[in-house]
Amino acid sequence: MSHGLASRLACGAVLSMGVLLSSRLASAQNGSPAPRPDEQPSLMKILSEDGLHDIENESWNAYGQFTYISDWKPSFAAAYTNLNGSINSLLATPERSFTGTATLYLGVRLWSGAEAYVVPEVISELPFSQLRGLAGAIQNFELQKGGTQTPQIYHSRAFVKQTFGFGGERVTKESGPLQLGTTYDSRRLVLVAGNFSILDFFDKNAFDIDPRQGFLGLGFMTYAAWDFASDARGYSYGGVAELYWDAWAMRFGRITPPKNPNQLPVDFRLFKYYGDQVELEHNHKIHGREGAVRLLAYRNREDMGRFGDAIAVWEADPAKNATTCPGFNYGSNNANAPDFCWVRKPNVKLGAGVFAEQSLAHDIGVFSRGMYSDGKTEVDAYTSTDRSATFGLLAKGSSWSRPRDVAGFGVNLGWISKVHAQYLALGGVDGFIGDGAIRPGMESSLDLFYSMSVRKSFWLTGDFQRVVNPGFNTDRGPVNIFSVRIHGEF
Amino acid sequence: MANFESHRKRGSALLAFAAGFAVWSACPSPAEAQQQAQGFAVERLYPSAPGGGWFVMDDVNIGGGLGSAISLITGYSQNPLVVTGPGGVPRLILVSREAFVDVGAAITYDRYRVYLNIPVPLVGTGNSGTVGPYQVTAPALNIAQNPDTISDTRVGFDVRLLGNSGSSFRLGAGAQLLIPSGVRADYVTDGRYRGMFRLLPAGDVGHFSYAGQLGVHIRPAEGLLLPGSPNGNELLFGASAGRRFSARSGWEMVVGPELFGETAVRSSSSGQTGFEGLLTGRLERTGDRPHLRFRLGIGHGIVQHFGAPEWRILAGVELAGHR
Repeated sequence: MSHGLASRLACGAVLSMGVLLSSRLASAQNGSPAPRPDEQPSLMKILSEDGLHDIENESWNAYGQFTYISDWKPSFAAAYTNLNGSINSLLATPERSFTGTATLYLGVRLWSGAEAYVVPEVISELPFSQLRGLAGAIQNFELQKGGTQTPQIYHSRAFVKQTFGFGGERVTKESGPLQLGTTYDSRRLVLVAGNFSILDFFDKNAFDIDPRQGFLGLGFMTYAAWDFASDARGYSYGGVAELYWDAWAMRFGRITPPKNPNQLPVDFRLFKYYGDQVELEHNHKIHGREGAVRLLAYRNREDMGRFGDAIAVWEADPAKNATTCPGFNYGSNNANAPDFCWVRKPNVKLGAGVFAEQSLAHDIGVFSRGMYSDGKTEVDAYTSTDRSATFGLLAKGSSWSRPRDVAGFGVNLGWISKVHAQYLALGGVDGFIGDGAIRPGMESSLDLFYSMSVRKSFWLTGDFQRVVNPGFNTDRGPVNIFSVRIHGEF
Repeated sequence: MANFESHRKRGSALLAFAAGFAVWSACPSPAEAQQQAQGFAVERLYPSAPGGGWFVMDDVNIGGGLGSAISLITGYSQNPLVVTGPGGVPRLILVSREAFVDVGAAITYDRYRVYLNIPVPLVGTGNSGTVGPYQVTAPALNIAQNPDTISDTRVGFDVRLLGNSGSSFRLGAGAQLLIPSGVRADYVTDGRYRGMFRLLPAGDVGHFSYAGQLGVHIRPAEGLLLPGSPNGNELLFGASAGRRFSARSGWEMVVGPELFGETAVRSSSSGQTGFEGLLTGRLERTGDRPHLRFRLGIGHGIVQHFGAPEWRILAGVELAGHR
């Protein structure tokens, strides 16, 4: 990305800090489930109402969800597709995609201050074009790399959380998925160890909308440019430490990367390969309206390739191309293209971002995210985006007498670095993109949705997304995507 | 109106639960699409329901108001699947090492219990080779390569039919559904739904405790080629007995053996029975506080078929309590 673009992004991020979301409302979604509102029925509430369960001071809880998302895209214009044997284009023909997930959230109190959570999950999916051709504009955040239509059951989370109180006010946490109903000190240290999504702790939204009721686009789940270490499903092993001090919070996490980029096997050598992240958060009120600002920085040390190295090796010896790989590669058939397989070694990726959200009125709020990563190395876990910015507005339906409905409008922008574009122009591919050639530009997606609550436990969502320059390639697109989502909670 | 609203909430929640369960249970087996794999669930130690006391048997000490229990068991077994030739001579150690963690949670109310056991395979290794006309491939499972694998999850329901909590004779009955998960080539699943129905006698007499099981394992396991592999439905049997020793204040220890096994109902060839013994010891917290148990066990395959290993070691912790 050019220096000018970086400046604009930084400026945009700073400006956006003044514009963000509502607290009762949701903001950009993330991979972690949200608390359940008081009026929403659940098995735990039924037990509590019958006097069989203390929902305010829980020793255990159990929640669940299921979500089915169906996407369709018509054909779109493309100057070329999978040129010269490259393999990562979004196909220009009409396609259907879907995901179906069901999740069980089990929580239990082990001893004073200690909680444990286990979350089995099942997923069935069919992505567009084998999940190729899009970066931060992937249309459905539930999609996983390597997923299949045959349902797969796995444990998404299994972790222990220990809280040490240091006083201050008492903070009430309502019962919900991944949260036992309890109270904490507003000044506390929280230690977490096990298997989790880093988004369970970092870049969480203050707004009480479950991600499965909000935006569908992956770029709205978290920073598209945050290549957080995780396996192909988005989960990691490791530890997180959080220090809460009234309106402030600071957290640090070290987590496992995949053994090979974007694959399921995990490298447990946490002192050799790891993803580190640190986040500083401040919650505030402006004219009585709640908001939050967060700064996040990450540093990954992983076995991955640098764009510059791959190009240099290929230019020095064209026989070292994408079709002659000695090790892990993505299967490109382009014999005239560089490939990371020749240059993977321990490399470092850096990035920093800012998030802000602010309530503007009752149940209406805005949010924004922006992140700048160094753009020197391939995508290892999340998206191919090197720099990203997101802006959005969310509203609950209280003003039109449907308070459990949610509507949202958002724009997600993404860029790649200059050397990244050069690598793609030479026909190289990474885990997601690579058309065989490129006329680089900003990949953007507009996401517009309405989520209608049905019987308090179900949501029916209609969503439209328009992706411009898919895979950062101005020679392709735009692409229109239409989606329907059915979501239920219990 | 309040009642009506309450019923509506309850209806919504139950409907959502039913829909979620339907999505879950409608999933065909992941393994069904993987025709090349001919493995099966080699592990035959089905841990008792959380709060059940023993490793395999169940004390059916279900009672009181709404209660809950959690358990964590980890185990390692050596040579759980050995293919033998004539005279029982070992020909191939197909699965030589296996380790797992089993996480369980249960909810009890009065005499009823529902529970969930989620087994997570950690290690599965062995030796590939040829057995008769069959080429068999050993599992190559480890947590780094398979960081989120779950093998067949068990959902169970038990009821105490006779006797009271702590009485000299109790009789329970239980049913379990095993939901296929994982990959057959890893020898962690049959790739098909299975079911178990068991009668569970148990009791406490003075310093002694005992428990047993007799049941049937509905196991549609046709098409398994390997000699010694499961052959359809099985009878389950087992018994345990132990003596209680007072430990320091508020704690006691129970030491005793557990014997358990299974035999194929359709016995079309030899080697259809597996039988295993465990020597177990557990340290229990007594009194009004939630029952905390630490458990250890060492086992040996007395009749080494069907996943009864040459030897195994188990460790577990369990917490159970009531409102």
